[in-house]
Amino acid sequence: MLLREVGYARPESLGEAIQLLAADDGARALAGGQTLINVMKARAGSPDALVDLSRIEELRGIELAGDGTLEIGAMTTYSQIMASSEARARPILGEVCAQIADVQVRNRGTIGGNICTSDPTNHLPPLLAALGAEMVIYGAAGERVVAADEFFLGVYMTAVGTGEVLTKIRVPAGRSDGFAAVTLGIEGTCIASAAASINGSVKLALGCVDAVPVVLAPASVAADDVRAAVQAADFFPPSDVHASSEYRTHLAEVLAVRAVAQASEKTKG
Amino acid sequence: MTSTTITPERVESDAPAATQKGQNVPRKEDRRLVQGEGIFVDDVKRHGMGYIHFVRSPYAHAHITSIDVSKAEELPGVYGTLTGEEVASLTEPFFQLAREPASHLQDYALAVGKVRFVGESIVAVVAETRELARDASELVEIEYDPIAPIVDARMAQGDAPVLHDDAGTNVMWEGSFEWGDLDAAFAEADKIIKIDELHFHRFNSTPLETNGALAEFNRGTGQWTIHCNNQFPGFAAIMMGPALRCGIDKLRFVTQDIGGGFGNKITTHPQLVVCCLLARKLRRPVQWTEWRTDFHMSMSHANERWFLDTEVAVKNDGTLLGFRTKALDDTGAWLRYEPLGCIIWSQVAPGMYRWRNIRVDFTQVATNKAPCSPNRGYSRMQHLWFTERVIDIVAHELDLDPVDVRKLNYVRSDEMPYETPNGCVYDSGDYARMLDLGLELVDYANIDARRADAKARGKLLGLGIGSTLDSGTNNFAQSQLINSDLQFSGNNEVATVKLDIFGEIVVTLGTVPQGQGHETPTSQVVSDILGCSVDDVQVRAGHDSYWNSHAGFSGTYASQFAVTGLGAVKGAADLLAAQIKRLGSAVLGAPIEALELAEGSVRIKDNPEVALPFMACGAIINANNAGLPDDLEDVTLNCRYVYKPPFQVPDLERNFGNLTLTYATQIHVAVIEVDPETGYYDIVDYAAVDDCGKRINPRIVEGQVMGATALALGAATWEIYAYDEDGNLLTPNFYDYHVPHALDMPPLKTADIESPSPFTPLGTKGMGEGGGAGIHAICAAVQDALRGNGDAIVADSHNPYHKVWELLEHPAEAGGHVSVVNA
Amino acid sequence: MEASAPAVSTSRSITVTINGTTYEREVEARKLLIHFIRDDLDLTGSHIGCDTGNCGACSVIVDGTLVKSCMMLAVQADGASIETVEGLADGEELNKLQTAFRSNHALQCGYCTPGMLMSATALLRSNPTPSEGEIKKALQGNICRCTGYWNIFKAVKEASGQ
Repeated sequence: MLLREVGYARPESLGEAIQLLAADDGARALAGGQTLINVMKARAGSPDALVDLSRIEELRGIELAGDGTLEIGAMTTYSQIMASSEARARPILGEVCAQIADVQVRNRGTIGGNICTSDPTNHLPPLLAALGAEMVIYGAAGERVVAADEFFLGVYMTAVGTGEVLTKIRVPAGRSDGFAAVTLGIEGTCIASAAASINGSVKLALGCVDAVPVVLAPASVAADDVRAAVQAADFFPPSDVHASSEYRTHLAEVLAVRAVAQASEKTKG
Repeated sequence: MTSTTITPERVESDAPAATQKGQNVPRKEDRRLVQGEGIFVDDVKRHGMGYIHFVRSPYAHAHITSIDVSKAEELPGVYGTLTGEEVASLTEPFFQLAREPASHLQDYALAVGKVRFVGESIVAVVAETRELARDASELVEIEYDPIAPIVDARMAQGDAPVLHDDAGTNVMWEGSFEWGDLDAAFAEADKIIKIDELHFHRFNSTPLETNGALAEFNRGTGQWTIHCNNQFPGFAAIMMGPALRCGIDKLRFVTQDIGGGFGNKITTHPQLVVCCLLARKLRRPVQWTEWRTDFHMSMSHANERWFLDTEVAVKNDGTLLGFRTKALDDTGAWLRYEPLGCIIWSQVAPGMYRWRNIRVDFTQVATNKAPCSPNRGYSRMQHLWFTERVIDIVAHELDLDPVDVRKLNYVRSDEMPYETPNGCVYDSGDYARMLDLGLELVDYANIDARRADAKARGKLLGLGIGSTLDSGTNNFAQSQLINSDLQFSGNNEVATVKLDIFGEIVVTLGTVPQGQGHETPTSQVVSDILGCSVDDVQVRAGHDSYWNSHAGFSGTYASQFAVTGLGAVKGAADLLAAQIKRLGSAVLGAPIEALELAEGSVRIKDNPEVALPFMACGAIINANNAGLPDDLEDVTLNCRYVYKPPFQVPDLERNFGNLTLTYATQIHVAVIEVDPETGYYDIVDYAAVDDCGKRINPRIVEGQVMGATALALGAATWEIYAYDEDGNLLTPNFYDYHVPHALDMPPLKTADIESPSPFTPLGTKGMGEGGGAGIHAICAAVQDALRGNGDAIVADSHNPYHKVWELLEHPAEAGGHVSVVNA
Repeated sequence: MEASAPAVSTSRSITVTINGTTYEREVEARKLLIHFIRDDLDLTGSHIGCDTGNCGACSVIVDGTLVKSCMMLAVQADGASIETVEGLADGEELNKLQTAFRSNHALQCGYCTPGMLMSATALLRSNPTPSEGEIKKALQGNICRCTGYWNIFKAVKEASGQ
């Protein structure tokens, strides 16, 4: 667990960060480091340079707009989301963040890092897909917005390109959400996960079963309709030491029903 | 013959007590450890030291066709390298415990010519910093010619590729053990229960601190000093001396604080040889700290074992008459401490049960996986799991309550000491009583109501019992049962106790604690004998071969400290006490019988004012000894004692004899609730009952029970060293190899009884390894939960959620295959 | 016009305060904070138990926040104030947590203990009277292989005065 030689810079502004990232193909943004530093320790990936985003004020903070939309800075940590009174406008965010790993990781790990990693077992990609979040990306060409459905492109691959930085995550208003997972040990890594959100219709996102969250629209909240949606979906769960493909497929169904049921309970509240 | 006692009255250490034994004296070690002032091996630094990084094999099985270290050596800051070729010319291959043909294995400190498991070390690189050593290792160029690997022990014979051409076979050891009269037992049986396959999985205890060493070579004297965390220096020295072609006294092992061992820090002699060779070659101290990943890939996996074609002879009422089975042990790529595992299980051949007719055909094979070496419960755990599975499967097939079948067949307390069919002697114990205590703790009387309640919530409740013995203090003569040419027998441990010039009492131990807190019970024993306070006894931290120069078996392993370590301490303290009294007698002018040791002096019992304080004793003998009587010639107040347990060499023909001195007991009861939709289960109630004879420090004993329980629960549900078909380890770190964290811990209830051992100096028994009971209990609980829900037989020791789900969905395919034949 | 971005460097000088003492050192950018603390500053109380940020033996408090120092670079700690296990006792006097660990047999080998103590310290600062469930959650990032954790929960409860 020793890194290769790497350059390091700590820009004070978004503009500086963009410059640094654009200048070197091998440069990578460093957010909380709870994934990237481990990757570098294993030498599974060795950027030439790290651009530390921790000093950039524009990337922090959570704002609650009048219409209930949350705007979360990409460098907001899980702990900050859990502690934020603004974030309580969408309670599922804090509830799911509280399940990620442990206190130490939550104190450093960021929402931006979580989704930019696009690890199929991460909690936030399926959650934000179900919530219909939007990702704000900033680069030399200015700002652009990408919907969650188009943000996750593959394992470790997102719509954020070279010379760009994810700056904010916009989450629409709502409270009827659910999240269910089977994990490796309590609050451990996800083996299978499902996130659901009800806003008139049901939006369901399955994690861990494919390279990116599998987003589905069951006909109703009824368990049969949820299962039918999952069965009809086109995904290929991996087999690994923790679960066979068959087991993951089965869990996807079970967890989808549970997540939708949780969300449905909240519509009654 | 022995009596069991109810939990004795315990006085907290603040109050004056007649004896320190049995008191929860706070540990001496803790003060430094809670301040971060412990000295663990990676904390030790030397000026100019080099850091080692090992280049390890990416292949499970391959010829090495070339090695080029030149680019690595050219990197600035690199001090040098070591290859297998050098090792082969500078050292002898390690002594093999096996007999032919495995005795021909050429085991060197680095791979020579061939690699046999992913993670095997091939080249060592040493550099100025840790990072540079790592960088340089990437510049070492190695070419391989891959061979098909063997990763399933069941495929290791026949025309499988052979790992060791020198042996010509993958069978590292085989033999048959038979005691009693199998034919008669099977003839007398009402039924024969056949179990196709039972499998005990591969895992280990992953101590939080990995292995490490800092080796220094004294060029003037040829002496190596090895700061390390090896927990059995006696064994390491015996292996390393001949390999390094040096006298055994040239290897000085120094340990202080060790971050857990659990048996997994015994077989590091190959890495230590590398450190020694490099320290000498590079003329500087050389440091190695094992990476977590390297530990998982290469170090001391517990034996993986299959039990095939088991047949059990039973009566209709559940009386067990006997069993036969074929044990297939997967020992990985090298024999490191193996093949001792092929005999060590027989310390508990009948488990806790009274059947007299046993046959085990035992085969140990090599596979392209990490070498197996001792792990907590070494080889007995696997066998005890087997016997517990048999009990539960018999109960299942005969539709009897596993509680009743156990009580019917447990060895009884009035039969103790109990000689087993192979001549081992269970010293004392009361299993039935412990089972009752455990059942009471989980409110067994109301289990049906709990089951109904769980069902109403959509959950399947299961209750399981795991009973286990912790056989401690080995008779190393059992090694002769697997190789009659070996010259090991008995056991020993050493301690010294001295009175220094200012009356300070100082103890050195031959043992090597890795968290068992040896300094504290040692002080308790010594303070009782010398009549001083616990705080007056200084125990040197750790182990140093210089202090008391081996007993051959010095170290801490195999559940023996309370017997061998404390036996040595008691012996040395008794010698010192006798010497102090003789001195006191001469100086105070009173006969020895009239004297006592109390309050840090020797004094006349009936006239305690007449006293010689220890300070005076120490001063007289060490600095003021002119004119002392001649008969005090041998009074040095520096006493060394080697404790030797009473063992004989077993009957090698019949495989018969006493192999361990003491048998501690643990009985666990687990209550789980299974979510049938996912296979996920929670432990909702758990009881651990233990009996380790006289407890010197009850809280330390309870800590061992808790820790072992946690390790067992981890192994039962999450922990496995799983390999893919190419021999890659799929769980090489704590991310994938999940160990229990705080949130995973179930509620725990404990109880204890004390059945003193009649065979040990203090009535104590070693007890560090008994927690395997947790694995047995979880297996039993899962099987119980599945009764009436597919009725799958649990045939594997490892039951993660996906396995439980499979047992629910496909009981016939995923579970064990059992058939019952009317005899 | 943006100011030009700061230089990318593979090593730099950093200033770090640990347990009240300030250190200025030149470090490579790639050096992990835990290695800086242990190797460069000889504060060996914080330990390393894994390669993947799972075990928590390296837990320290940085600017009031509990972190795993194996997942931070030393250069990221430039200007920070860090607390490690060596700063807990007041001279010879152990603090409440340390005393409670000792009296509850909450340590055996002692290797996880510094990290546990720092995590427990962080917990009690933010939540002076935690429930057992809150204690477990606070220690979730610290692996122990010796004790089974039960005595550790008791010790933290006791140290909190409950």
